Amino acid sequence: MTTGSGDKGRDPSARSYAPDFLTELFRNPLDPGYAAAAERRRQVPPSRWRRLLSRPVSLVVLATIGLLFAVAYRETVAEEPSRAKARAGLIAEIKHREAETDRLTAQADQLREEVGRQRDAALSGAQASRLRNMEAGTGLGRVRGDGVVVRLADAPRDKDAVTGADAGPDRVLYSDLQTVANDLWAAGAEAIAINGQRLTATTTIRQAGEAILVDYRPVTSPYEVTAIGPGSMRDRFDESRAADLMRYLARVTGMSYGVKKAGDLTLPAAPQPRLRYAEPSVSPSPSPSGSGAAGSSSPGPSRSGTSSSPSGGGR
Amino acid sequence: MIAVLALLVGVVLGVYLDPTVPAALQPYLPIAVVAALDAVFGGFRAKMDKIFDDKQFVVSFISNVLVAALIVYLGDQLGAGGQLSTAVVVVLGVRIFGNVAAIRRHLFRA
Repeated sequence: MTTGSGDKGRDPSARSYAPDFLTELFRNPLDPGYAAAAERRRQVPPSRWRRLLSRPVSLVVLATIGLLFAVAYRETVAEEPSRAKARAGLIAEIKHREAETDRLTAQADQLREEVGRQRDAALSGAQASRLRNMEAGTGLGRVRGDGVVVRLADAPRDKDAVTGADAGPDRVLYSDLQTVANDLWAAGAEAIAINGQRLTATTTIRQAGEAILVDYRPVTSPYEVTAIGPGSMRDRFDESRAADLMRYLARVTGMSYGVKKAGDLTLPAAPQPRLRYAEPSVSPSPSPSGSGAAGSSSPGPSRSGTSSSPSGGGR
Repeated sequence: MIAVLALLVGVVLGVYLDPTVPAALQPYLPIAVVAALDAVFGGFRAKMDKIFDDKQFVVSFISNVLVAALIVYLGDQLGAGGQLSTAVVVVLGVRIFGNVAAIRRHLFRA
């Protein structure tokens, strides 16, 4: 009922279709002020002093606009070097920090070797050699031996001149490195390093933007995957799926791939893993609180002991 | 003709005097340039339509610059400076395009 009366009361022809704001803006860009001013001038001619004064004022405004353009241009041009300077500063800082990290890593390695030497001196021969073998297996110790070197490199970059896009996926991807490393393990490798970064059980090979990170350290093309293992490793790797894929990619995309046997390789130790969770082994160590009840009560105190240690902090 | 000369004089003055813009005003410079361009093209079109008015030109330039700067300032205070700058540039840009189109129609009858 109300709608009926409403419809009746409204006259469809009286409805005005006002153009929306944007349409109005596009259709009539000129200030209506100019037209209004012209209209006013036609009705009431302006006084003489105003006619005399207004011309110079608008010329001054025009000169101001020109000044504004020039200043804006100069500002824009002047800003460019400061931006480049900031960028160069950041790059220098990155380089500096990287050098510092390298120095500290070298120092850590040195100290670790020292610790290893001291430990070897303290331990008996059998225990020491067992420990050394385990370290070699887990990547915590430096190892030497014969093996193979797999070399992967991005194709020389020939960018499309028009779009700037790469001609194809001719770059080595992190997954390529992953498959190569995995198939090297499968082929019997005992230790693997990528560009000098030793792989351990917890090492990640990931992509971050354009860069490939091995254990959170960037590596760049050419990539050398060095593996130490038995003599049959080379042939077994050549038959693997990764080798097949790499040969195919090298043929199709133009990135380079090569495997060669190498003798007397030295792989560095991986950085010390960050301990997240640890429990002291119960049986051999004579703990100061050692008693007959240690077996039943050890989980409680030992866990609280590890969590309070500084290295076990995180998660 | 005199107007173009005045514009050139301004440019030359700017190049030779090389005034430094205080850092506080720097964000408003691009907006001011766009507002000035709008005023210039608006004035030129009015000239073509033979309804140019000096007072209208002066007032429109000053108010354009002030309003644009005010909007950007408000936007900065509200944390939406970038978006409001874009809004100002879009509105003035549309006007510039429309005015240039009208000038083009006057000059080339196309």
